Amino acid sequence: MTYRTTIIAALLSATAITGSAFAADPIKIGVVTPLSGTYAGIGQQVRWGLDLAAKEVNAAGGIMGRPVELTYEDEEANPAVAVQKADKLFQVNKVDFLTGTVNSGSTLAVGQVAERAGKLIATTVSFADSITADKCSPNVFRVNARAGQQSSALAVWLSKEKPQAKVFYLGPDYEMGRSTVAAFKSSAEKVGANSTGEVFAPLDSKDYTQYFGQLRSARPQVLYTSVAGNDTVRLFTQLQEFGLLNNLTVVGASGTVTAQNLPAIGKAAEGFVTGVGYSAEIATPENKKFVDAFKAAYKTDPDLYGADSYGLIYAYKAAVEKAQSTDTDKVRAAFADLKWQTPQGEKTLRAGDHQAVQTMYVVRVNGGKFTIVGEVKGEDAIGPDTCTRF
Amino acid sequence: MTAAIEYFQFVLAPQILVGLVLGVAVILVALGLTIIFGLLDVINMSHGEFYALGAFVALALASLGLPFWLLLILVPLVMLPVGYVVERGLIQRVFHGGERHVTTLLLTFGLGLVMEDGFRLVFGPNPYKPEVPISGAIDIFGVFLPLYRLFLILGGAVVVAAVALVVYRTRLGAMVRAAAFDRNMAASLGVPVQHVYAGAFAFGVALAGLAGVMLAPIYSVFPTMGRDFILMAFTVVIVGGMGSIAGVVVAGLLLTQVQAISSLYISPVWSDPIVFGIMVVMLMVRPQGLFGRLGHG
Repeated sequence: MTYRTTIIAALLSATAITGSAFAADPIKIGVVTPLSGTYAGIGQQVRWGLDLAAKEVNAAGGIMGRPVELTYEDEEANPAVAVQKADKLFQVNKVDFLTGTVNSGSTLAVGQVAERAGKLIATTVSFADSITADKCSPNVFRVNARAGQQSSALAVWLSKEKPQAKVFYLGPDYEMGRSTVAAFKSSAEKVGANSTGEVFAPLDSKDYTQYFGQLRSARPQVLYTSVAGNDTVRLFTQLQEFGLLNNLTVVGASGTVTAQNLPAIGKAAEGFVTGVGYSAEIATPENKKFVDAFKAAYKTDPDLYGADSYGLIYAYKAAVEKAQSTDTDKVRAAFADLKWQTPQGEKTLRAGDHQAVQTMYVVRVNGGKFTIVGEVKGEDAIGPDTCTRF
Repeated sequence: MTAAIEYFQFVLAPQILVGLVLGVAVILVALGLTIIFGLLDVINMSHGEFYALGAFVALALASLGLPFWLLLILVPLVMLPVGYVVERGLIQRVFHGGERHVTTLLLTFGLGLVMEDGFRLVFGPNPYKPEVPISGAIDIFGVFLPLYRLFLILGGAVVVAAVALVVYRTRLGAMVRAAAFDRNMAASLGVPVQHVYAGAFAFGVALAGLAGVMLAPIYSVFPTMGRDFILMAFTVVIVGGMGSIAGVVVAGLLLTQVQAISSLYISPVWSDPIVFGIMVVMLMVRPQGLFGRLGHG
C-alpha cells in the first residue's frame, strides 16, 4: 500500500515537474501581414525574418523559458481586412503581441484595435511618418526607419551629387505615398532642390504611362518615387520602354526597389538610389552571420523588411525579459528608450514617439546589386519628436 | 500657337496613344467575357484568372526556350481544352438549375479564387517580367511610341477582326448565334448545342489566354494579375451591350480615352469613379448597352 502510494506520488510529482518544464505556455505573437496581393512579396520577407528569429530564440531557450509561437493571418494589404484579422488574433487566439502590418493604413487601423484590446503592436515595414508622429499611439511601436529618416539620408546624397536639381514626384495615392513624397519634398527643398510637379497614382496601377505626359512636360532631372512591390516593376519597365530613363536620375523610398522585385525589374533599376535602414551589403560580422543564416534557410538575400522583422523578435525578447512579464503596461515601460542589437547594428526605441533611431544608409543599384554609397548617423536622420499623445 | 502644337505633341497626343494601348488591352480581355456572356448567359467571374493562366502558361513555355511568336498560337491552343473541360465538368452541372445567374456566378468566382491561390503555390508571389519581344521605339511626328505597343494596337485590331469574322461570317459562327438566340430551336434544327456551348466557353477562355500572352511583357506576370483588367472589362461589356463584339470595341476605346484624357486634368484617382459613373448612368438610361446582344438584331 505504502509502496503503491509512493509510486503514485512519485509519478504525480514527475508529471508535475515535466509538466512545468513543458507547460511553460508559449508567448503568442500574432502576425497580420499580406500573404497575397501586390505586397505579398513584402509579407514573404516579413514572415521569413520573423520565423528565423523565432527559431533562433526558441533554440536558445525561448523568452524567459517560454517558447515563441507565431500565428499568421493574411491582411491582403487592405486596412479593412487587417482590422478583422487583428481582432480575431486578439480575441480568439489571445496573442500577447502583434506585428506584420505592411500597408501604413493597416498599421494605423490595427493600432486602434490594439488600443481597444489593451495590447501592443509593432510595425517592421510601414513608412508613413504619421504612425510615430501626429497619429502616434501609446500602443504602437515602429522598429524600422520611417519616411523622414529615409528622405533626409537621401537628400544629403542628392545635394552632393545633383545640386539644385529639378525634381518630379510620383507616389502611390494613400497614406504612405503622400507621406513619403511630402517628407522627401521638404528635405530636398531644404538642400536646394526645385520641385517641378507631383502626381499620385492609385495603388496597384497597371499602367503608369498615362502619367508620363505630366512627367515629360515637367522636364525634371530627378524623379522621386515611392511606389512599391509589383507597382515598381511596372513603373520602371514602362519608364524604360518609353525612353524616359535617359538623362533622368531615379531616386526613391526604401521599399521601392528591394531584393524581392529587383530581378523582375532588371536593367531598368540600374542607377536607382535610395536612403534605407538596412542593406545586405552592410559589412559587419553580425550582419554577415544574419545574411548567411537567412540565405541558408530561404535561398535568397534578406531585404530591409526581413532584417527589421528579424530584429523585432529580439526587441520584444529584450523588453519582456526586462519587464519580466508580457503585461501590456510593463512591456511598454520596458520598450521606452530600449537599446538592442540587430543585424544592422544597435537601435534605440525613442520613448517620446516609439520610433526606432538607427544609422541610415544611401544605396545605389549597380550591376543588379545594391552597393552602399553613403551613411548618415541615426541622430542626424531622425528629426524632431512631434508626437503629443503620450 | 507653337505652345499649342508643343502641348499636343508632348502631352495630349502621347496620352491619347497610351489610352489606345490600354483600350486594346481592355478589349482583348473583354472580348472573351462578352462572348461567354452573350452566348451562355454566364457571368464568368474567373475570366481574369484565365487571363493570368494564359500569361503563366506562356511563362512556363518560354522557359523551355520557345519563342514568343510561337506562344501567341500555342497558348490559346492549350487554353481551348482547359475551357472545354471547365464548361462540361463544372458549369454544365449548375447551368440548368433555377438560379442560373447566381450559381454560375458563385461557381466561377470560387474557381477564380482557387486558380489565384494555385498560381501562388506554383509560381510564388513575386512578379515575373518577360522580355519585350520587340525592343525599340518609333517617332510618329515627334510622338514617342515603343514598338511593342504599336504591335499591340495592330495585333489587337487583327484579333478583333478575326473574331468578328468567325462569329458573323462563318457557318460555325452562325450556329453559335443561332444557339444564343434560341437554344431549343437551334437544337431541333440539328445544332449540337452542348458542344457549341462548351466550344464557345473554350473560345472565350482561349481569348483570355491570348490576352495574357500579349499583355505580359507590358504588365508583368504575378498571381493576382487577374484582378487588373477585370472590373474595367466588365464595365466595358455592360456599357457596350452584353454579348456585343462591336459594343466591346466602341466602349473599350471610349472609356479608356475618357480615363487617359481626364487623368491629365484631374487627379488620376478620379478616373475610376468617372468610368464607373458612366456605367451606372448607362444602366439607368439604356440598360441593354450601346449595342444589342449577340445573335439579336
